[in-house]
Amino acid sequence: MRLTPRKAVTALLAFCSLALSVALVSGCKKAAPRKEGEILIGFSSRDLSAEYTAKLSEAVVDYAKTKSGVKLVMVDAQSDVQKQFGQVENFIAQKVDAIILNPCELEASTPAVDRIKTAGIPLVLVNQVTKSAGDSYIGSNDFDAGRIAMEAVAQKLNGQGGVLMLHGIMGTSAQLQREAGAREIFAKYPGLKLVDHQTASWDRAKAMALTENWIQAHQGKFSAIFAHNDEMAMGALLALERAGLKKDVYVIGIDAIAQALTAVKEGRLDATVFQDAVGQGKGSVDAAILLAKKQPCPKETMIPFQLITRENLSQFLK
Amino acid sequence: MHTLDRNLLHRFGLLLVIFIVGLALSLLTDTFLSVANFTNVARQISINGILAVGVTFVLLTAGVDLSLGSVVALSGVACATFAHPGEHSVFVPIAVGLFTGAACGLVNGVLVTRGGVAPFIVTLGMMTIARGLALIFSGGRPVANMSNELTALAGDLFGIPIPVLCFAGVAAAAWFFLRNFRLGRHIYAVGGNENAARAAGVPVEKVKLFAYGLCGLLTGLAGVVLAARITTGQPNAGQAYELDAIAAVVIGGTSLAGGVGTITGTLLGVLLIGVINNGLDLMGVSSYYQAVIKGVIIVGAVWLDRRQARS
Repeated sequence: MRLTPRKAVTALLAFCSLALSVALVSGCKKAAPRKEGEILIGFSSRDLSAEYTAKLSEAVVDYAKTKSGVKLVMVDAQSDVQKQFGQVENFIAQKVDAIILNPCELEASTPAVDRIKTAGIPLVLVNQVTKSAGDSYIGSNDFDAGRIAMEAVAQKLNGQGGVLMLHGIMGTSAQLQREAGAREIFAKYPGLKLVDHQTASWDRAKAMALTENWIQAHQGKFSAIFAHNDEMAMGALLALERAGLKKDVYVIGIDAIAQALTAVKEGRLDATVFQDAVGQGKGSVDAAILLAKKQPCPKETMIPFQLITRENLSQFLK
Repeated sequence: MHTLDRNLLHRFGLLLVIFIVGLALSLLTDTFLSVANFTNVARQISINGILAVGVTFVLLTAGVDLSLGSVVALSGVACATFAHPGEHSVFVPIAVGLFTGAACGLVNGVLVTRGGVAPFIVTLGMMTIARGLALIFSGGRPVANMSNELTALAGDLFGIPIPVLCFAGVAAAAWFFLRNFRLGRHIYAVGGNENAARAAGVPVEKVKLFAYGLCGLLTGLAGVVLAARITTGQPNAGQAYELDAIAAVVIGGTSLAGGVGTITGTLLGVLLIGVINNGLDLMGVSSYYQAVIKGVIIVGAVWLDRRQARS
């Protein structure tokens, strides 16, 4: 059968309308009529393909299921500020009772926060602050994470030696604060030298290529790598292992993702800093429910970080 | 022969640019000019290189493929899903990755040839479809726990990194194919003047389908190599890889209008981009400046090259 352009267009239109009707039917199933007195919470996750955020989001969804009279709808912003803004507008249009926002970015996500506040909907921010504050913030102080990680490096090196730092996406609050925390430790130990630092955008492949290049440029001049997250720490680790240099270099990340914990267990990664995804997820649901019921709720809840090494690993493995 | 002159001139111009950049880096750093660093550069360019060779075929037919990065992610996820230790032989995940890439390429090809939809639109659609499928199949999470047999693909063979061997093999085969096979010459004919080619009896649709299918297959290979390298299938991997690949091909003298271009040119383009990325890291240039410098060198190289080709 030869497909003429007209046939092709007809086929395409038919396909699209089919897809649309399927989407509508499944959409209707989800948007079941709201029960009287039920609390509807909208949750926009920054990026479900990032392991830490996925863990946090799962905790939010699972914990909300255990609460009776609460319905939670989750959407994934895939690290796209614009997309998240649209999702927020949809929540406002649906007149949800509270919104849990895991913002994409410090500055760029601020307009979305302002829009929610203008609409008068209670807002819980989780794991990332914006320039405007929500009604409640559940997070961990990333400043502490940077400090804990660099302090571990300083202890290991006895305050003397070269360090490389892999930044997250520049301008995210986690990157800014983790760097600031680390810089404080550098100021405390004048023997620690920051040999080079560069962003690998939270990305394992980028961190690996960057570390390979650093090995060429600075071999012998550094004895530790601090990565702002575990994905990048894993990339640095792979590059060092491949070059046969891991034994000379202490590598530490932040987040305690599953693969990093396994690597610590196997004695490959030296340490990571545990950020309590489940604690943050549960805390944000609790706060959203309190706010939706117009009950008092703390402005800020901080879930503490902890250093994980081989010695205390067992208590973090499920 | 006229085209030979043009190619020689072209290669000379680009080689000059690479030589200047290389010289500058050798003077500015004491680490650029070393065997270890060249192995390093070779390893880092191999993924972009495999993609660039594949997309050269598509660009030669006056088409384009914007779905490369997403298909890399999808193939990597598909490969990693079948690569858990003790489940399958190592050939299964490799085959799955290659097949996934080839299937995406063939769908692109069918829509372009049978559907008559512009390549830009078809592959733009595939770009978001493949990314979506990668997120669906992986549940949005990195697919970890890959067998050592598969991750060994990123290791060395006789002291040479396997990704580099893959890239070299692919490039050599593509070079030989385009020069010596009738189908290879048909690809140039289709891109040069589609109507004339059709009048001369070239099976235009089949040739295009082949180009997209092959590009997809090589994209699948790049996905497998990347997954082996970073020991996971990452659904969000490969962002904007198509841009680096297409940039390399165009720097290498392939015309976006089709019909003109060589694999050797593409190799030089890939090398230039790789050397720039590596050199700027060695010099400790901030990533903000890196982006600007890279853009300037890319546009500058093409400008210098086209000027030489004209004179």
